[in-house]
Amino acid sequence: MEQTQIIEKLTSIFREVFSDSSIVLNETMTTDDVENWNSLTHMMMILKVEEALNVKFKLKELNKMKKVGDLITIISSKSE
Amino acid sequence: MTFTSFIFLIFFPVVLILFNLIPRKGKVWFLLAASYFFYIILQPIYVLLLVGVTFCTYLFTRAMANTESEKKKQRLLVLGIISIILPLFFFKYFVIINKSVISLLDNLGLHIALPEISFLLPIGISFYTFMAIGYLADVYNEDVEFESNIGSISLFLSFFPIILSGPIERAGNMFPQFKNFHNSSYDGLVAGAKMMLWGYFMKLCVANRLGIYVDDVFSHIQEYNGSTLAFASILYPFQLYADLGGYSLIAIGVARCLGIRVISNFNRPFFATSMSEFWRRWHISLIQWLTDYIYTPLSFTLKSWKIWGIVSALVLTFLISGIWHGAALTFIIWGLIQGVFLSIEAATQKSRSRFEQRKKLKKNPWYLFICSVCVFVIFSFSQIFGKSPSIKDALTVVGKILTEWGTPYLNITELSFGLIALAILLLNDFSEEYFASSFKLFNNKYIVVRYLSYLILVFMIIIMGEFGGEKFIYFQF
Repeated sequence: MEQTQIIEKLTSIFREVFSDSSIVLNETMTTDDVENWNSLTHMMMILKVEEALNVKFKLKELNKMKKVGDLITIISSKSE
Repeated sequence: MTFTSFIFLIFFPVVLILFNLIPRKGKVWFLLAASYFFYIILQPIYVLLLVGVTFCTYLFTRAMANTESEKKKQRLLVLGIISIILPLFFFKYFVIINKSVISLLDNLGLHIALPEISFLLPIGISFYTFMAIGYLADVYNEDVEFESNIGSISLFLSFFPIILSGPIERAGNMFPQFKNFHNSSYDGLVAGAKMMLWGYFMKLCVANRLGIYVDDVFSHIQEYNGSTLAFASILYPFQLYADLGGYSLIAIGVARCLGIRVISNFNRPFFATSMSEFWRRWHISLIQWLTDYIYTPLSFTLKSWKIWGIVSALVLTFLISGIWHGAALTFIIWGLIQGVFLSIEAATQKSRSRFEQRKKLKKNPWYLFICSVCVFVIFSFSQIFGKSPSIKDALTVVGKILTEWGTPYLNITELSFGLIALAILLLNDFSEEYFASSFKLFNNKYIVVRYLSYLILVFMIIIMGEFGGEKFIYFQF
């Protein structure tokens, strides 16, 4: 899956999970940049991403996700 | 020796001066010696536990770093956590388990004489244990590299500003700083001193003053009416904030003077407009630790249950937090209340967000104020269980608050200083929350305003401070 496709799908998931239709994703985005992004909604987002992009994350990978860019990199590595 | 003891006022300046005189290479070992001295003065025998936990941490992280096999690493992680947590478990729960066994045997008609043993909980054991477990998990997750210098690991776990009550630091933040020690800078000393000053104000003028009233009321629950108990229940969260928040600020300030930046522990919690936001502002280092090492693995394991997996992980995390606070039903209920309210919030987050957007409430000051008050009421209610000696007492407090209204007992001479100091603390938080760039005292551009602010604060600490108690609430955990 190409990076633009990943970002497109992630954007719609982010907008739905974090209840904000104005979210525009970029790689440096962190939890501080999105109002409702906390440890609870983070796990909801992970569940949605796994379902929508048909990937399975490992716990270790979850711990490494510090920003949107990390999430995109991990998804890219899984869909190669 | 604690931060509010007279001996600390001698200890800290001496350490600060020597730290700056000692060559760079020796600074880790000097601070390690100072930290062990600080701990030995408090509890000489229990220093052996600290040494034991340090060696276990070193050995298990080294073994993990030298292993390629994922399964072996996992086994080492589990074994390491068990060996590090055993002393904490023993000291915190042995007495209650022993008592329960004696009472169970008695009830079964078996009068076997088991010795009734009681221990003094080693101060800081929870905090250095959590830090050791965090480091072990970070090495396992490859978030930080194994630290081969045992001096750095020892200093990380025993660093005197944070060993007694946190903030619960991370290896990833501390080790790089230990490798790059410098002499104290002017800016660091000024920033550290300001934090210490405000921390002392919070502890001595707010926490200790309010504590006299709150402790009195909660120790004589039967004698006071519902209004008095309600007032004490409202004051207790402020006392707790000023106590642990004050301690944390002094700790962060002391570390800052030594050139070490320690993570912050509180961020104006009473301006939170939801419970989840409150827990991102209150005892931040503990909540972050619980999130990373308990909630995340739990919710990940239970993720096939979808939203219910997240809710269960949340409730379980706060239940564990409650049990850590104390092996009593009161703390279990305290933890459950937090978990349940956070779960309700998580489950209704979308509909609330839609409602707020539709009614344009997100920036409405009255709506935000009402939300903050609701969060405060829920937290104060949960703290009735955290503060009461037993579940029966907590239920008595709740029952009296609901039914026994009357003239509250207000000892104005005792309370006035505490309430004035609390008003100053909340006003300062309010100005930092909403007018951070326009209203400055300690950071004012005019030197006269700055120095006048320091002087007034020192004067207030001397006049209004209650210097009687050296203990901080979180020493018992």
